[in-house]
Amino acid sequence: MTDIVQDRAGRSLQDRAVVAMVKFFRADWSGAFLAIVILGIAIELATTGRPFFHPSNLMTILNNSAAIGVIAAGMTLVIITAGIDLSVGSVMGMTAALTGYVVSFWGFPPSLAILTGLALGLAVGAFNGSLVAYFGMPAFIVTLAGLSIWRGTGHLTTGAQATPELPNTFDYFGRFNPFSGLREAYNNGELTGLWHSIGGFVDANWINFFRTFQMSMLIFIGFFIVLTIIIANTRYGRWVYAIGSNEPGARQAGINTARYMLITYMFCSFTAALGALLFLGRAPYAKSDYGQMWELDAIAAVVIGGTSLFGGRGSLWGTFMGVILLKLINNGLTLAQLDTFWQMVVTGLIILVAVGIDIVRQSKNPESVRKLLAAIAAVMAFLACMTPGAIYLRAKIAILEHNAAEAMRAAGQQLAPGHNARLLSPSELEAFQTAAQANITAAALLSLLVIAAGYVVFRGKALLTWLLAAGFVAMIVPLVALGYQITAPFLVLGAVVAMGSNFVFTIFKKARMLDANAS
Amino acid sequence: MKMNLKLASVAVAALLIGSAANAQEVIGYITKSATNAGWMMINQGAEDAAAAEGVTLVAVGPAFQGDLSSQLEVFENLVAQGAAAIAVAPVDSAGIAPAVNDAMAAGIPVVAVDTGVSGADVTSFVATDNYAVAKVQGAVAATLIEDGQPIIYVTGNQAQSTGQERRNGFVEAFTAARPNSEILEVPTEWNSQEAQEGVEAILNSRQDIAMVANAWDGGTMGAIAALRNLGYGAGDVKLVGFDGASDAIVAMREGWVHANTAQMLYQMGYQGIRAAAAAARGEAVSPRIDTGFFLVTPSTAAVYSAMVGIE
Repeated sequence: MTDIVQDRAGRSLQDRAVVAMVKFFRADWSGAFLAIVILGIAIELATTGRPFFHPSNLMTILNNSAAIGVIAAGMTLVIITAGIDLSVGSVMGMTAALTGYVVSFWGFPPSLAILTGLALGLAVGAFNGSLVAYFGMPAFIVTLAGLSIWRGTGHLTTGAQATPELPNTFDYFGRFNPFSGLREAYNNGELTGLWHSIGGFVDANWINFFRTFQMSMLIFIGFFIVLTIIIANTRYGRWVYAIGSNEPGARQAGINTARYMLITYMFCSFTAALGALLFLGRAPYAKSDYGQMWELDAIAAVVIGGTSLFGGRGSLWGTFMGVILLKLINNGLTLAQLDTFWQMVVTGLIILVAVGIDIVRQSKNPESVRKLLAAIAAVMAFLACMTPGAIYLRAKIAILEHNAAEAMRAAGQQLAPGHNARLLSPSELEAFQTAAQANITAAALLSLLVIAAGYVVFRGKALLTWLLAAGFVAMIVPLVALGYQITAPFLVLGAVVAMGSNFVFTIFKKARMLDANAS
Repeated sequence: MKMNLKLASVAVAALLIGSAANAQEVIGYITKSATNAGWMMINQGAEDAAAAEGVTLVAVGPAFQGDLSSQLEVFENLVAQGAAAIAVAPVDSAGIAPAVNDAMAAGIPVVAVDTGVSGADVTSFVATDNYAVAKVQGAVAATLIEDGQPIIYVTGNQAQSTGQERRNGFVEAFTAARPNSEILEVPTEWNSQEAQEGVEAILNSRQDIAMVANAWDGGTMGAIAALRNLGYGAGDVKLVGFDGASDAIVAMREGWVHANTAQMLYQMGYQGIRAAAAAARGEAVSPRIDTGFFLVTPSTAAVYSAMVGIE
């Protein structure tokens, strides 16, 4: 938070930018945050209609992140102690099912059912945690067994049947909107004076903003704020990090490591139970197969957020960003209407980018940063290349398959249905040949750019990098003329990143100098 | 029914020894899910058919939905232990093919239930004709909206023939009737949470969506949750389901769902095991048994409910 008017150190704007940048990259969450921004911009370019960065859309993402988010928070603490909890998905499923079950079929009042669910979470955590902390069993094995035990228990106790719709009390953990009462009162004409104008404002901006302002999101954010404060200000928070970085050392220093590990596992299972409630608040019914594979999503979110799987280092806000990144991928790719199979590939790539940024960030080595930027430029060139390239390749492959099937038929083999499907009619064959012809120039040009960018990753001479950036820019005009407007954003971004990579060393030098001056 | 996979081979062995004593033939039944509402109806049909035919049913579900490796493992165990016939609902049409080939080569009849096998011959394929029913679904859905109004279609797993046929059938029939309507797809792997989040994302970013059509009723229920999360009431956005699952039929009575192409789920399990038992006795079995469908609309919901026993 440097104030522009009064900078007591009298630093220039440039210096302050460098300081801000260093500060940003020191935060554990910067990798995930940067990936969120990059992905957001890409989706923004790919979608039409309401902007992707619309508050209402962001709140929808937060609402749907809530359940997995609180679980990932519990997982963060476990991983900081150098442990792991693979049972969270099953515990979530079991507590969700049982909470719904007792309220629907045993006539429990909702509040009692909720308490039952949370208590169940604590009990499971006490079981897992005791085995890990007091019996010395590996956390991986204990919770892997738990993954099976608690899922099975959930199915057994509820018969794996869905409950009817749950009572409205559960909405307070999910879809309940604090403004809905006000809006209703306004629409019924019950408000006067100031309340009337507030109600009018809410009603007018309902679809654009207030509709998605729901409890899920509020609980999610509130939970992270409270937990961060607790971890930062209590002995427990410090011990968790101490246990993770050096458990024997922590024990010798007089910390009751077993007790704090037990508490951590209990807390993690408790968050699984809380996550179950948040999920029930938005789901159609309660069922014991909820939360499948959530343990992997939670662990992914924690690691994307910069927490080390070896313990001792990490942050809750990193996890927060990690969860949002995972949900943002689903939300954004659905809005962009990307092909299903491409969504799978792109999801994996984005996770790699986020973790890649994090690793480079930790290396504190300017050459790694430069390489990363050059690699991003190469990826941009590749994405641009894919537009004509995919058409060219698909046409070429179709022709190849047709020829192969023809050859098999000529050789007198009986063709399977899969083979017959690959035979082309003369008109189709001609269409594919034209498509291949039309795209070969652009594909070849852009392939050259990919190769050049790939070369710069390893041989990053300044002049070469400038030439590469110029190459990106020069490519735009002919490609747009050829009708590939869609490649322009990739090329512009590639040029910017390539140019930026030339300044990495200067910025690092400057940052180190400022750091030395400050201390 | 909800037997743990790891116990499967032990259980198979035990049942085979037991069957030798009371001379009941063992039919292996590899199901796709023991926890999905629709699958529970199919499995019920399978159990009833086994009881009617006087055969012992060894039913095994995968460790989790979509787990091919556990299905292959169970398949091999059943073949090795000498089951008289095997009914299988493959989680992956092509992936199961080698195991099916081995069993057929060993002289064990294989009946595919619900999902076909590609790349191997089976004794019989007992299922809804998903493509044909999805075309009916698409044509009916088209009548519910005006041409030009955009809709959402929640897909099933596009790596499976069931998911592909339902999507293709729906899209073809719907586009033929409403050529100017945009179809926005929400991809899922038969997971209602994915359906809920995807539908919520699109509905929130666009105000003009007139209908949500679903490849299965788990998606329908997810779509209802998404509508409720955004404060919509029943009927604000039209809903079309597939499967005729009981919760979707209840939602139809409440005004949420406007049409549902119901598969005859119980019949699928029942006919599948009957065909397997007949093949095990060496009788001729039709290679394709279509179990039909029922178009459920608010006016036929009562008839359908009575037929499948929904209260």
